Amino acid sequence: MVHEEMDDFEQELKQALQRRPAPPSLKRRVMERRVQRRSPSQMVWMRLAATLLIVALLGGGLRWGMEQREERRKGEEAKRQVMVALRITGRALNQVNTRLAAHDRGGE
Amino acid sequence: MWMRSKLLQVGALVLGAAAVAAAQDSPLLLPPGVEKELAARASDVTEVTLGKNMLGFASKFLNGKDEDEAATRKLIEGLQGIYVREYEFDKEGEYSMEQIEQLRKSFETTEWSPIVRERERKGRETTDVMMKMVNGESHGIFVLEADPKELTIVLILGPIRMEDLGKLKGLSGLGALGDLEKDTKVKDKEKDKKGGGE
Repeated sequence: MVHEEMDDFEQELKQALQRRPAPPSLKRRVMERRVQRRSPSQMVWMRLAATLLIVALLGGGLRWGMEQREERRKGEEAKRQVMVALRITGRALNQVNTRLAAHDRGGE
Repeated sequence: MWMRSKLLQVGALVLGAAAVAAAQDSPLLLPPGVEKELAARASDVTEVTLGKNMLGFASKFLNGKDEDEAATRKLIEGLQGIYVREYEFDKEGEYSMEQIEQLRKSFETTEWSPIVRERERKGRETTDVMMKMVNGESHGIFVLEADPKELTIVLILGPIRMEDLGKLKGLSGLGALGDLEKDTKVKDKEKDKKGGGE
């Protein structure tokens, strides 16, 4: 009894594990499904979105770079003005010193 | 009629207040129009206006490794503003001594103390250095130097550390400011001694 049951089970297992060739239409059906899933118009939109994303990233990077350059230019200009202002102040004070020295010499 | 005259009076008051406010905005306290007039007559003009924000911005770009720039950064930190006007003229008499006197008078307040005041006999060459003192510390310097063909106005507002000025070796003259103050103190002391002895 038990032996017969085992034979049936083995038979079923054998059938289930038996290698069967894929039906010839399977590949065609898979390819059709794939094409259906991504229609040409969808592909265009996806490509467009990807392009726009890349352009936005590049544009953002370029703008950031330009802003950094502009900031640097303004900073260098401010620095130059500070130096000019201090140089003029220094020159004026030098002249004051020279005049005072001349005045002191004249008074002696 | 009475109403119209009142309105005119109010209008005049508003305009006056606006003019005063505009004059106060100009830190050099040059009367409105004078600055433009001087610039128009000068053959060479240098105008530097740096407020607190601009000084803070500039200090970010001063290299801490360079000795002069590091000293400059330390000097301008905390300053309220640097205002410089330098006019060079081709011929004499392009500005009036009244204009200079007007400018000088605007600094003749209790908080500004004259350090140097010199007049040439002919009166065409004048030098003024004034310090703004707050609780015994210098919080501003005003330099007015008038030559027949050159006019230099410098106003630095904010706490100025004299010891920092001396470190600016590349900017000759600024170090002299420290000496100037020392000289003045020495002269004051000498005066006190003489005064005490008399």
